[in-house]
Amino acid sequence: MENLIYLEYAVAGIIRYWLLNSDYKQTIGDRVEISTPLNSWRKVTEGAYLYNEGINPYVGDNFHETPLGLTVFDKMISHIPQWIGIIFIVCDLVTAHVLYHTAQIFMSELVEKDKYAKDTEALLLKQSDLVLPPVYVASAYLFNPYIIFSCVGQTTTVFANLCLAFTFLLMIKGHRLACCSVLALATLQSLYPATLLVPASIYLAQAERTSSLEGRQSLRASSFILTAVTFIAALLLLLYISSELAGGWEFLHATYGFILNVPDLRPNVGLFWYFFTEMFENFRLLFIYAFQINAALLYLVPLTLRLHGEPMLLAASLTALMAVFKSYPSLGDVGFYLALLPMWKHLFNYMQQGFVVGCFFLITSVMGPIVWHLWIYSRSANANFYFGVTLAFATAQIFLVTDILFAYIKREFSLYHGLHREVNGKTTKLVLE
Amino acid sequence: MTQLLNTETKLQVCANYLFSPVLLCHLFSSLLAYSNVGNMVQDTAALLCAVVPCFMIDDCVEGMIIPDKVVTVVCGTYFSENALLPGLVKGEFDEDAVAKVYQSELLDEAARYPDGKYAGKNVYAILRAPRSSSTEAVVLSVPYRPPSSVHPGTTPSVAVMLALAKFFRRQKYWAKDVIFLVTEHEQLGVQAWLEAYHKATCGRSGVLDHGDMMGRGGAIQAAINLELHAEKIGYIDVKIEGLNGQLPNLDLVNLVHRMCSKEGVRHTFKNRENGNYRNWYKEWLHSFKTLMAMVTTQATGVPNGNHGLFHSRFGIEAVTLEGFEKKGKGSPALYFQMGRVLEGLFRSLNNLLERFHQSYFFYLLPATDRFISIGMYMPPLGLLCGALIIKAFALWLKMQEDPTKILPAEKEAAAEGSSNHFSLVPVGMTVLSTHVLGIVLLSSPQVLSSLGAEFGLSTETSIYVGYLVISLGYLFCLLFSSVGATVESWPVLNIVALLELATLMLCTSLQNFSLALLSTVVYVPPGLWMAPTRNRILNILQKAFWLLLHPLCLLSLVVMTYTALTFPDEPVSELLERGFTATRQALVYAVVDSYVYANWVFPVATAILLPIWLQFWVVLHSSPHQKESRNI
Repeated sequence: MENLIYLEYAVAGIIRYWLLNSDYKQTIGDRVEISTPLNSWRKVTEGAYLYNEGINPYVGDNFHETPLGLTVFDKMISHIPQWIGIIFIVCDLVTAHVLYHTAQIFMSELVEKDKYAKDTEALLLKQSDLVLPPVYVASAYLFNPYIIFSCVGQTTTVFANLCLAFTFLLMIKGHRLACCSVLALATLQSLYPATLLVPASIYLAQAERTSSLEGRQSLRASSFILTAVTFIAALLLLLYISSELAGGWEFLHATYGFILNVPDLRPNVGLFWYFFTEMFENFRLLFIYAFQINAALLYLVPLTLRLHGEPMLLAASLTALMAVFKSYPSLGDVGFYLALLPMWKHLFNYMQQGFVVGCFFLITSVMGPIVWHLWIYSRSANANFYFGVTLAFATAQIFLVTDILFAYIKREFSLYHGLHREVNGKTTKLVLE
Repeated sequence: MTQLLNTETKLQVCANYLFSPVLLCHLFSSLLAYSNVGNMVQDTAALLCAVVPCFMIDDCVEGMIIPDKVVTVVCGTYFSENALLPGLVKGEFDEDAVAKVYQSELLDEAARYPDGKYAGKNVYAILRAPRSSSTEAVVLSVPYRPPSSVHPGTTPSVAVMLALAKFFRRQKYWAKDVIFLVTEHEQLGVQAWLEAYHKATCGRSGVLDHGDMMGRGGAIQAAINLELHAEKIGYIDVKIEGLNGQLPNLDLVNLVHRMCSKEGVRHTFKNRENGNYRNWYKEWLHSFKTLMAMVTTQATGVPNGNHGLFHSRFGIEAVTLEGFEKKGKGSPALYFQMGRVLEGLFRSLNNLLERFHQSYFFYLLPATDRFISIGMYMPPLGLLCGALIIKAFALWLKMQEDPTKILPAEKEAAAEGSSNHFSLVPVGMTVLSTHVLGIVLLSSPQVLSSLGAEFGLSTETSIYVGYLVISLGYLFCLLFSSVGATVESWPVLNIVALLELATLMLCTSLQNFSLALLSTVVYVPPGLWMAPTRNRILNILQKAFWLLLHPLCLLSLVVMTYTALTFPDEPVSELLERGFTATRQALVYAVVDSYVYANWVFPVATAILLPIWLQFWVVLHSSPHQKESRNI
């Protein structure tokens, strides 16, 4: 199995390297589905150029990376320009490996004890069921076209995904300081990962409980507070370093302000651009609030209440919802949470819409660029065509998230109540309503 | 009376049903699919597969029958854009005498340079609009052809253009620049001019060097390409099909027809005038033939005139007016009428306030004044592709079940147990390797050509032979691969192939409906009923049939048929040789078109269609499911 993984890394690395050095690189990097104003390498190079010329890149409306990122990218561009492509590839491979480890640890947690209904032996996971999923996770990351394109297009989503992957790993390992620091780094870069603090704190609290060797004790509030404080401290420290690097606080407006206010309405795979081009200016603020709350906070509380026993699933579904609803989503974000899904391979049999969702993904992903060409170049289609496709794409993703959550609930129900569900002597079926 | 009408309509439906072999073929295929299946789930799915083409029949019949009675499906054309104000002003063009002088001078000049003096040069002039600041422009273009050209000459159109320029210069009403453009080397010239005007490169960089130009007008709103072959015009044929099957806005097409009618010039579409039969069947057949002529032209993806390069990449609405010499009796259209038609066209275009956006961009024309809109022709195609998806879903459901367990309540658990003993690796490897092969083929023409040159072969031969060798070599590699060995993996591969085919067809239909229609007709029925089987004869038949559908094979077949139709009198051996040469050339033209004009038929066929074909091929070579034998 180990050998297979390394073979996969090699093949995936070769594919990425070939694409990076082919003519397709520029085309891929210019796609609006891959590069948003927030993550495109073009903007990074412009920002680095301005920075080197002694002009504050945050004054204009062009550059939206953090000062920390700016410094690192600037060093990369000026000192090792020929290695930049390799750095992207290596980061992607490291992300895959981190996810592989995360999945391995998660699998060992999944082995279940005898606390369920009587005839559920068939449902319980055996050791043999837990070998393959980590490989699938790594493969789903390595060979996902979304991730490959995102890496080849040299989007900074690659680094955001790396931070997220480390957050997941450190979360499951229970290292509080490291986890909070990486999470703060991810938050610094794209703000929305802040919601992952909730599953992370649950995990850390659980880890603390296990290490204290008193299995039945409930989670302690002090642990949550400590995690939150560590996270906030780390974030503040990073912000302070950023302001020192940038020589002021203008960057806050150019990064967080840009994410929250959505001033750039270039089309992307998300839902913001179309609504905000159509909207009357008076209502803009109201809808900004509505959309941002929907993206970040709306699902946090209900999902936490339902899934607090399964923080990993909570974290994954929050990541997925973030990728659907955030203001500047790209396919790299979508690919990241898709790669997490094989961890719940045992739930796939309970999913009802897998095929439909798969078809949706395939057709919308191919149709998007075609409709874009018809709209922008041939001018025979219009914005509604493209928005229709992105809307279908978002719907498919939401279907996927609800489906996996419902599958989890169905399986849990079966575990506690047994397989034979009979009401008044008739076989029944679980339905989501 | 109404009853009579109703029965007639029904009869029409029946007749059309019988007269559309395409649709029959679908019904047949879906019946086959129906007979193939065993259990309940697939019963339903296959039934749907059978029903889908029936829907299609219904729709298409309606879409194709004579529209006098079924008005809702085939609409009469109408103007959406009010700003055009077609034919509202009185024509004033009176420079026809000058045009005659120009014509004779041009002929003298052309006779001095029979091979074309201005190698690779376009000539253009801009008439600046007195009433605005050069923000918008309209183009009148004429291809220049030296006397040695194989195409019929176009000097009369140059003469008309010059006379028009003389006339236009005196008018005060121009709000848009008028660009007069004479191009050389047919489409290459237009492409180079457009690329230079927009400073953009459509095809591969470094293939077409467009140079730079001195003067520019504004954004080009519309273009009229004029090809008059004689001074006395019998009729004007309006050509619309562009690169990659793109069409101009229907308003522009309507405008041309309207202006021709106004000036009393006979006008046709696909060289066919509107039928005027009293017999509904003859009328239907006439419209149907016109429609099919459009479908076949559009499906090639190659523009049938210089207008075709305007709309694909640059979003400029353009049509070609081709004038044919008057033969036989009757009064011809002279420079006077042609001038008036063009004057009317340009005054209408001059009225435009926004670029064309009102009317249809996606349509099919069965006559000059009737059209089928996208809303009518898309559903049948969607259903056809839907049949593929349903088949894939049926296979998927079948895979989920395990025959060893009976209790429905334990289905979930059973599925869990069965899903573990096969891995996706071989399927993934097949999908990956087929696509890699596609990309290798896509990027190989240059290499193959230079490799062939070392052996003294021409470009045509080396590319054709190279493709044949690579694709056949891969076929044999597949025979020895391990995918076929694992029983569980072929349905997965089949599902992947079906879904890819459906997606490809759906996406093609958006760009080039005709191509999508013809390819679904060819690929969907076999895609639906093909499955590995134990019956040896059926197996061989399936494989032989599928080999015929190999893109390269299909290309050869189509070109051979076309050759046979063009030269019906030649002996068979001669025909074969001609056809073979034509096939090799067709392949090279496809490659060159993709390099120069960014025509995507070649890339899509090699990089996407061929891998899908290969996946189906692998499926055919797999061993059939164990379950079948157990059930029997």
